[in-house]
Amino acid sequence: MNKIEFLNQLRERLQGLPQEEANDRVVFYREIIDEMIADGKTEDEALAELGGVDKVVEDITSETSLTKLVVEKFRPRRELRIFEIVLLVLGFPLWFPLLILAGILVLISYLLIWMLVIICYVIEFSLAVASFGGLIGFFAYLFDGTANWIVLGEAILAAGLAIFFFFACKAATTMTLRLSKTILIKIKTAIMRKGRVQK
Amino acid sequence: MDAQLRRGVLDVLVLSTLQSEDSYGYKIIKDVKPVLDLSESTLYTILKRLIEEGMVESRSTEFEGRLRKYYHITSKGMKRLMNFNEEWKELMAIYSFINKEGRR
Repeated sequence: MNKIEFLNQLRERLQGLPQEEANDRVVFYREIIDEMIADGKTEDEALAELGGVDKVVEDITSETSLTKLVVEKFRPRRELRIFEIVLLVLGFPLWFPLLILAGILVLISYLLIWMLVIICYVIEFSLAVASFGGLIGFFAYLFDGTANWIVLGEAILAAGLAIFFFFACKAATTMTLRLSKTILIKIKTAIMRKGRVQK
Repeated sequence: MDAQLRRGVLDVLVLSTLQSEDSYGYKIIKDVKPVLDLSESTLYTILKRLIEEGMVESRSTEFEGRLRKYYHITSKGMKRLMNFNEEWKELMAIYSFINKEGRR
């Protein structure tokens, strides 16, 4: 691949960005490549240093906000015709609630993932309380000789499980955070790849 | 490094490369490289943000038959750099406090 091919491919893959920004980014890369070559690198070396079109597009995608990508995707390419505007206004009672509904559904599915994490912490908390209560229950009766050894066993068991769940909860939190990041970049890439909605 | 912190530090780092003289994309990357590996796309995003915030101005000039975009730090950008030094002193005080507590 040479410089021109690289830049053309890059421009092609940045269709999901506002036109001005996409052009500006390509100009920026062209300048960098030219400077690298002027600096004594060959064209191949310069392109290799940038890491390939895939990597460059991925970097740019992760740095662009989801809102910007979505807005660009649904921005009409031309002036709307009168009947289209009328249709949009008349259809408002229909499409607006549907849009809200879709938004809520997405939000709920995301919250569900976090619910699992919260449940984990609730279990962890109950175990800790149970273990603490069990120990008090045991020692309170220790001196009048009616202490229940089974209660002590249960308290120790609960403590052990609480420690286990503590690490499980921590792992679940990190995993969910990582998952959120992955989902976000996947969504952005999908929007970016399909480019604009054809109208 | 925490994303928020990284972002703030990167802005200042890029500004500091323009402190003594105007610079251009490739040179900024080369200047910053010893301290931090800055990708081209990140630099673009930072420069764009700095321009929008009025801390940097850009102008394209022809250099040896090709276009080169020079970036110039504004007085607002200079002020940001000085503020950073002040903030940093406070941060350093907190840092040494934390370490002192840790050794106790």
